[in-house]
Amino acid sequence: MPDATLLAVFEDIDPAADAIEKLHEMGITDENINVISGVPIAHKMLGRPHPWTNVSRLSMGGAIAGFVFGIFLNFGTPYLYNVQVGGQYFTPIPPGLIITFEMTMLFAMLATFLGVFLDSYFPNYRPLEYVGEVSDGKIAVFFKCAQGEVKKITDALKKLGAETVKPAEAQQL
Amino acid sequence: MTATSKYFSGAQKAHDAHHEEEDPKQYLMYDPKPRGEMNAMVMESMMTTSWKFWLVLGILSFLVATCFFYGWGYMINEGLYVAGVMRPSYWGIFLVNTVFWIGISHAGTFISAILRVFKAEFRRPFTRAAELMTTFGLIQAGASIFMHLGRVWLAYWLFPIPNARQLWPNFHSPLMWDLLAITTYVLGSTMYLFLPLIPDLAMARDRSTGWRKVFYRILALGFRGTEGEWRHLTTAMNFFAFAIIPVMFSVHTIVSWDFAMAMRPGWSSTVFGPYFVLGALHSGMGAVAVVLFIMRTTMKHMDYFIRKEHFNALGKLMLIVTFAYSYFFFNDYIVQWYGGDKWTDTLLHWLEEGPMAWMFYQLVLFNIVIPPLMLWSKKIRETPWLLAAIGLLINVGMYWERYLIIPVMLTINRMPFTWKLYQPGIEIFLTVGTFSMFLLFYMIASRLIPLVPVWEVQEGQMTHTLRKVGKTHVPTVSEFE
Repeated sequence: MPDATLLAVFEDIDPAADAIEKLHEMGITDENINVISGVPIAHKMLGRPHPWTNVSRLSMGGAIAGFVFGIFLNFGTPYLYNVQVGGQYFTPIPPGLIITFEMTMLFAMLATFLGVFLDSYFPNYRPLEYVGEVSDGKIAVFFKCAQGEVKKITDALKKLGAETVKPAEAQQL
Repeated sequence: MTATSKYFSGAQKAHDAHHEEEDPKQYLMYDPKPRGEMNAMVMESMMTTSWKFWLVLGILSFLVATCFFYGWGYMINEGLYVAGVMRPSYWGIFLVNTVFWIGISHAGTFISAILRVFKAEFRRPFTRAAELMTTFGLIQAGASIFMHLGRVWLAYWLFPIPNARQLWPNFHSPLMWDLLAITTYVLGSTMYLFLPLIPDLAMARDRSTGWRKVFYRILALGFRGTEGEWRHLTTAMNFFAFAIIPVMFSVHTIVSWDFAMAMRPGWSSTVFGPYFVLGALHSGMGAVAVVLFIMRTTMKHMDYFIRKEHFNALGKLMLIVTFAYSYFFFNDYIVQWYGGDKWTDTLLHWLEEGPMAWMFYQLVLFNIVIPPLMLWSKKIRETPWLLAAIGLLINVGMYWERYLIIPVMLTINRMPFTWKLYQPGIEIFLTVGTFSMFLLFYMIASRLIPLVPVWEVQEGQMTHTLRKVGKTHVPTVSEFE
């Protein structure tokens, strides 16, 4: 039963990837590991599972909602508020395409933006486990392990190049 | 024979010397610094201010207070008669400014989104500087439209808000398309500016104290850089990079339709859409050159991030855009010239020989003649002040182009008894106000948000390596995604 959360800081990707492999060998599963970095690092480089995101689905949902809203503005609202323009059809298609396009793109972008907030739980101002060195380019690996394993794991990670291995503490960012 | 060989040997030596000068380290990607050092440099550039900075800030604030706020307030109080708009030029400098600022805003999207999609590595250090131009330019464009409205407090009539008076916007009107397109673009480009800024705000949060710490803490939203956060962020940024491009094209095309949909001499043209888009890119690229030059010369450490290679690449883009713009300009001109319509002929003669002919010739000189004559040279492209000077000239030319299209082409219409040259009134003060506000916002932003996306620069440096091939090293780039 995991009862300790440790934080190992690495200078580069290679030792961090080796450390994660070692953690796997020592029985720590991916669900109990998290990596924090100052640049986006592809999951394959660290031997980690592909992170799930709903952002692209939300974008698509937003686009569909925007498309429907655009159609409503063009072909629905003229019946609610009658605007007659001389020489033009009551609900002409060519101008409708422009409005529908803009609404589709607007809603898709808004949904994408919102998706980042929802998926990342932003804004989050509670104390979180973090180390400032991450934004200096270092890579931090957080993992949960049994209390009795701490010494063994710390030694193994230090041997693989960890600069520090210490208990992770939640801090006010 | 001897003289010839001597000449060629001199040329050869110059050629060799030129190539020997090429040191991979003159490129940012091959001159990496530790991330911590780059962070410190960017933070120092934000924190450092001199008396000159405060002096310019004070002057700009004064201009904004007087020309923008007082001027606009005065116009609202007195009515639109204090402006020069009257028959036949109902559209004056306010709309010239609107089109101009929307044009400037195109640079950010082009540089950030299109170059991101094509993975052009040189874009990395100056994407944010360009994106900021988009947001601040669009604010000025929006303000100019509201000035033009006159009774600005009734602006909400433009929006489809159910009401008891049966007032409803006419979605058949290009002006309504404009509103929706510009709103979409403002919101889209602001979100696209903010997303890649989050990691840099987190970096600034980790390195600041006092009110700045609070400011960055709020804006960084609790970003730590977990795998999930990066995944959501990069997915969204990739989506935005693709989505904002057609929106960008649509915005200026729709702006052009404000004119092209009317059967007026000079306006009714099927190439106005792409011609306007190219014009927008032309002025936007020029403005980016000016901004990068100012950043590099006035902000600490910016000469590390913004190098000759960036000016060279930007100069090449400007050259390509100049050719494309010239092509559409000539296409638009020749078809109207050949058409033989009496009023169009009159307009063209008036442009070439009338009282505003100086504007027309400056437009041709600054936008079509000078840029290709200068930008073919790598030396000129790599000289920051020269590229900025060309960028400035392009913008002067583009401003005249919009002036000719709007009040001047409205003057020469099919009713000669209405012809009266437009004389701007308070618009001049308000124009000074919008330009001052743009610069003021930019100066404030340069001290509040990291203008260089440090994480993107580091990512670029991590993906580049020099690979030995034979006797030399060649750069190779890999993709992290």
